[in-house]
This record gives sequence, structure tokens and C-alpha cells, in this order.
Amino acid sequence: MNVFEQKEISAAQSFLSFRLGKEIFAVEVSKVNEILEVPKITKIPKSPEYMTGVINLRGTVLPLVDTKIKFGMKPVEFTVDTCIVVLEIKVDDEKIQVGALVDSVLEVMEIDEAQLQPSPSMDAKYNLDFIEGMLELDNKFIMLLKIDMIFSINDIIDLKETHEGSSPKKNKSIKNPNNRGKK
Amino acid sequence: MDSYQEHYLIEATELISNLENALLVLEKTPDDKSQVEEVFRIMHTLKGGAGMFGFQKIEELTHYLENIYDLIRDNKLATTAQILDVTLSTVDHLTALLYDAECKEEINKENHARIKNEIDIIVKAIGITEATAERTHSQKEVVSNASALYHIVFKPNKEIFANGTNPLFIVEDLLALGDGRAFARTTRIPPFDKINPEKCFVYWDLLIFTGTPVEEIKDVFIFIEDQCEIAVNKVCAFNIFENNQIDLKLFENPKTFNSYLVEIASRAPKKKTEDHINKKSELSGNTGVVASTDDDLDMGNPKERIKNISSIRVASDKLDDLMNLVSELVTTQAGLSLYSEQNPDRRLEVFSENIEKLTRQLRDTAFSMTLIPINHLFQRFKRLVRDVSLQLNKEIDLVIKGGETELDKTIIEALADPLMHILRNSLDHGLEHEDERISAGKNKTGTVTISAYYSGANVHIQIKDDGKGIDQEKIRAKAIEKGLIGKHDKLNKAEILDLIFAPGLSTAAQITDVSGRGVGMDVVRKNVTNLRGEILVDSEVGKGSVVEIILPLTLSIIDGLLVQLEHTKYVIPLEVVEKCHELNAGELQENINQLVTLDGKQVPFLDLREAFDADKNTAPELTQIIVVHKNHKRVGICVDTIIGEYQAVLKPVGKYYRNQEFISGATILGDGTIALVLDTNKIIEQSIGQKIVAL
Repeated sequence: MNVFEQKEISAAQSFLSFRLGKEIFAVEVSKVNEILEVPKITKIPKSPEYMTGVINLRGTVLPLVDTKIKFGMKPVEFTVDTCIVVLEIKVDDEKIQVGALVDSVLEVMEIDEAQLQPSPSMDAKYNLDFIEGMLELDNKFIMLLKIDMIFSINDIIDLKETHEGSSPKKNKSIKNPNNRGKK
Repeated sequence: MDSYQEHYLIEATELISNLENALLVLEKTPDDKSQVEEVFRIMHTLKGGAGMFGFQKIEELTHYLENIYDLIRDNKLATTAQILDVTLSTVDHLTALLYDAECKEEINKENHARIKNEIDIIVKAIGITEATAERTHSQKEVVSNASALYHIVFKPNKEIFANGTNPLFIVEDLLALGDGRAFARTTRIPPFDKINPEKCFVYWDLLIFTGTPVEEIKDVFIFIEDQCEIAVNKVCAFNIFENNQIDLKLFENPKTFNSYLVEIASRAPKKKTEDHINKKSELSGNTGVVASTDDDLDMGNPKERIKNISSIRVASDKLDDLMNLVSELVTTQAGLSLYSEQNPDRRLEVFSENIEKLTRQLRDTAFSMTLIPINHLFQRFKRLVRDVSLQLNKEIDLVIKGGETELDKTIIEALADPLMHILRNSLDHGLEHEDERISAGKNKTGTVTISAYYSGANVHIQIKDDGKGIDQEKIRAKAIEKGLIGKHDKLNKAEILDLIFAPGLSTAAQITDVSGRGVGMDVVRKNVTNLRGEILVDSEVGKGSVVEIILPLTLSIIDGLLVQLEHTKYVIPLEVVEKCHELNAGELQENINQLVTLDGKQVPFLDLREAFDADKNTAPELTQIIVVHKNHKRVGICVDTIIGEYQAVLKPVGKYYRNQEFISGATILGDGTIALVLDTNKIIEQSIGQKIVAL
């Protein structure tokens, strides 16, 4: 189901906002399973840089993604605020869990449909394949992410990049072994 | 569908497959009477259940077949190919009927009519008279050939009313079997003030003269078997109710009952046989008749019976649950061991060690329960080979070796299709026709050998044929035609043969029903790879081919060697570890040809530090080199430190790390951190591959 259709059903939606560097992002709360402090991470050798490693989530092995590297920023620096947002995403009709490393988690907010700007059209430098909408709050823009799309792509993505090279249709899912993310 | 029917379905599926196997054996040894017995016995069981649970069509068909085999059993008829053919196609039809009991589907209807007709032809040919063909429910009557007087003791448990059973109905059912009398025994009834009206104190002695065989008498008790004591004894072969000399009154008194019964029995000593069905046979002693604890009566041999008792049926998801629990336990136990190490306490240590020992045993036991012999799979192929050999008009001998080799049931299930495909290929393309074979100086019967055996941590399955072999030139030409390789590419034999696993390559000049649709071997390889297995092929033109599948035995839990490299811990499956050595790190770094001499032999090695891009500055002075082996190839793997043995519960690392092939999984250590499980096969493959490139 398309996210836009979902929105028509419920007028108000909950989002979890978090910070990466200076920018603020948000994801639907329904996709968030839990938020964790950072435990000991086991790095997997020879894996792409944005794949931070794996952690033990109560007996299951949870892969971690450094969201900042994934978005082409500097790696996450571990501070007391660093968190893991455990997301449940859908890849090829299969639900998998992934932990997203973020600089800090901010809040859960209820957003009215009306508040939501369906597309960041006024700021065309963002890649619409990954951004669901924009939200203005206290003079700050919050980007609502399409996480299913973002985390099913096995490469670094550039949110601001709009040229066709990073189009998810051509580069979909975790299939290309050569994209080790050495950008 | 109610649960009884469901139960029957499971049982019937098994019976049908047993029947099929028995028939195939019978086909090889048509004069073996014990096989005929076996076939007959399975059919009889199948029929009984079918009748009881409302599968009339199955009952009908098995009934007719039973008649035929009964005649064979009595030496009145020989086992012919025609009979076996019809029986086998009936067996197939029975499977369809299990899911379409009423025969509603058009194709089943057609088959049903056809098979019935075929059976009719046989029945008519051998001249079974209508009367004998019509007999129902009385197979045993013909066998034992006479009515008899049975003494039945029916002693319900006192709590029988609690289940809503009325014992009188049972008594009525029994009396309906023939001439009979029931004698109620009231000796168990307590004094009136102690009587509990909700309990049953009465029991019965019944005398019945009937032609019903003992097991059908027993059927009356089928639903209350465990709620009562039952004894059925044959007394004599004449009808006491028609004999004036018998004083029935003497039976009314329990004290004179038994002695009088013995007296009557002795009047006809020649015909006296003893049959006895009992769970708790305390009463049988009183009658003075020797009790035999034979549940199966005259069917089946003693060995068969022991086999029946020594196994129980368990739903496979229960086993999965058990395995999951054991996995959790292993992880928890690792935590306990670690805690006891860190908090020295004599008693805690003892407990922890004991629990570790028990966990290991529990793990092995639970693990072995999920293993089933691969014969389950191989047996199916017997039928395939039979059918295909008829279809292709080739004489084929199937040899099965190592059927007792055990593998996890999920692996076996997943192997069925790939193996079937390989086998079809061998039968169709591998083996030549008779005339070709004779002119090539070979035995006219082609042989396909399927064998399975353990080798270290793996199970090998080989399918070998003595056919014409794979023509490398043909494959090469085809591959060039399909653009899989270039015209001037130089490939060695193994590489060329490996091309048969490439998508879209089928060398069969003619596409047949059996195989050769051009899809197949690539799918086969994919399936095997999904099981973390390997598939190889070797062939010699004119002599035959062999396809080998190598599968890991390992499932969810493995014994491993825990090692450390930099900050990360790794587990190497213990089965592949040969020996550990210690070396100066400098020795390796100056090594150009990547070979190290250990115990006087040169061994190629792989420095994991280098392979995993570890920081060179943190390298320890001493390096541990672990020699692992695979298919006679030995490779040394260098790590920083060896921590010790560890039971690793394998957890998937998930899709995200699909490309990190050298990691076969992860495991959670006692302290909650994660160690990565190395796939040594992949590492060996890669390091050897690299070496070829490097040279």
C-alpha cells in the first residue's frame, strides 16, 4: 500500500523524530519497534562502511546501519545521546529488522495531515524517492523518510541527489555485490 | 475434517508409501512369501482404517486387491507383472483418493473407473467367484476358515462412566457378532452404603460363537481400549449353544465358570487354538489358557513388531520447538559458565559444569531427533527408476548405498527435487539403450548407484551411472553457442563440466518427458547452495558420470573453536579443525608464496588479519595458525588468539550481510556479545582461488 493512501485513512499520524548532524528527520512510529542504547557492536569484516556491524538484541542478531554514512554524511560519533532506532522494514515482501544509528532521538509527535507538505517541491534538491514529505516545526524543517525504500537499498544514498543514477527502480534492494559503498 | 480422519490421513500416507516399497521388493523377488504377507498386511491395515473413517472408495479398492493377494498367499496364484502394475497404479490412485475421498474430481473418477476395470479383469481371469469376491469384513474368516467359541472378559475401569461410555452397548455389540451369552459379574460391587453410583463395578464374562476373527472382535473395543481390561480367548470350535450336553447354568456362577470352560475346551482338543488380545492380561491365567502377547496375531514377523513399538510419532513442529528451546538453553548455559568463571565459588562451579554437560547431551539428543535416514528419500527413487525404465525401455538397476546416513529432515525435504532431477538426467541422458550398450561392450543393464556417506562435517551424496558420460566438446560448443564462454577461452575439464550448471544449457538433442527442458541443473545447483552445500560433476566419455552433492551436517548448533582477531571473536566449526600451531608473526609476513611448513609439510595459509583488513599495528607477536581441511585440501588460518571450544547456536546474520559469504552466521556468547561463525569452506575456496590468480 502506498503511504499516501494510508494517510487518507488516518488524519493524524505519529512520527518519531531524530537528529543526524544538524538535520532533523522523522519516521512513522508504526515502523519503529524500539529504541536502544548502543551496546557492544560486533563489526563484520569486509562489509560496506555504512554497515556498522551486528548487535545482540535479546538473542537475535540485529544488523546496524550508520544512518549518517548511508546518507553521505560523516560517520556517527558515539556519545551518550547516540541511539539505535530498531526499525521493521519490508524488503521484497519480507519483514526484516534493522537498527539505525542516529545521533539522538528527539520526540514522538502527532502530525495533522494538514501540517504535512506532501512534497518538498519548494526545495527540489531533495530526492523524492526517499523523502515522503516535509514538515515545518518551530521554523525548522523535518524530513519524513520513506524507510522501506531507504533501507532496502544496498548502497549509500544521497537524499539530495536527484539525478537518475540513484533511482531505486534501477538499483533496487540488496542485489548488487559490487556496491560495497566505498564512495 | 475431524482429528480422527486427519490422523488416518497421516497414517495412510505412510502405509501407502510402505506398500509401494513392499511391492517394489516383491517385484524383484516374486516368490518371496514373506513379501506377499507384508503387502497383504499393509493393505489390510489400510482397508481397516479406510472403512472406519469413511474412505469407502479406498476400502473398496484395497478389498479387491486384498483378495488377489490372498490367493497369492495361498499359492493359488502367481505374482505376475500385470498384477504388480495394477497394484502400483492403484497405490497412486489411493493417494489421490485420500484427498478426494468421494472421487469427485474428474481425473480421479476416470482413474478410479480404469483401475477398477483392470482389477476386474484380473479377478475374472483368475476366476474368483462372485461369492468370494463379495465377502466383506471377513478376510480372516477365510484364513482361519471356521467359526469358534470365544470367551471374552470385559472388565471396564470403574471410571468408565466419566467418559460417557455405556458398557452395555459394548456388550450388545459383542453379542451381535454371533450366538452368545453375557454373564454379568457382580463380585466387585461394594456394600450398599459404600456404593458410588458414578462408578462402574460390574464386569462381564461373555461366550460368543462367531465367525468374526479375533481382531475384529477387538475392534468393538477400539474407543475404550484404555479404559478397560479385555481378554479374548478362543475356547473351542463348536457351538455350545446348539449342544444339548452343555449346561449353560454352570456358567452363571463365576466359581464354576472357568473350570467348566476348560472342560468344554478339552472336549475338542484337536481344534483348540489360543488367541489372546490383552493389555493387562491378568484374567488370562484363570482360564488356564496359555497367553501369547501377540498383538498382531498371525500377521507380520516378530522383528516387525519390535520396530513398531520402538518409535513414536511426533509432530515435526514440536521438534522445532524443542530445538529452539535447546538453543536458548545453550546460550543461557554459556552465560552461566562465564558467570561462574568470573565469580569463583566451588559449588557454583560444580553446578555450572554439570549443567554444561547435561546441556551438551540434551543438545545432541534433540539434534539427533531431527535427523532421519536418507533412505526415506532414496526409497522414493526406486519407484521413479522403475517407471522411467519402462517408459524409456531401458533396463536399469538401481543400487542404493549408505541409506542409513542421517541428515536433518529439512535438508532431506529440500533435497528431494534436486536429487530427482539429477537422477532423471542420469536415466534419460546418461544411460544408453540396450543395443548401444551391447555394442559398446557393456552389460545390457545400466546401473545407477546412489550412495551417501559422512565425511568430516559433511554428508556426501553421489549419483553415479555407467552410461555414456558427458561429452565435453558438446558442452563446449553449446556454451559457445549460448554465449556463456568465448570461442577461444581455455577451460580445463572440471570447468567445462561445471558449465552444465549454467542456466539455459541442455545438451539433450531430443527433449523427452523425463528430462531435458533446459531448466534444471542451474536450479539444482541453486537449491543445493541454499542448503549451504556444493555440487560437483565428473564424467568420462563411454564410462559414465558422477554427480556429487556435499552438504553440511551442521544445523542450528555446532561445536566450534572460539578465536579472536583484533576485537572480534570468531567461531570455526570444530569438525574441520585439524591442528593448531603457534608461529612468530614475522615468519608469515616475509612469506612470499603463502606457504608455511608445519609438521614437515607445506600448507598454504590465509592470514585473516590481512584478509579482513585489520589494523597492522595491533598485530600480536605470536600468531595462532589453525589448520582446517576440506576435501583433502588443507589450509592454515591465522588468528590472534585461540580462546577455546564453544557450542555455537547459529543465528542468521540476515540479508544485509548476504555478500559476506565467509560468514555463515553469528552466535551469541555468554557475555551477550556476538561472535561470527566462519564458513571455512568458502575461505578455503577463496584463498585457493586467489593463489591460482596470484601465480
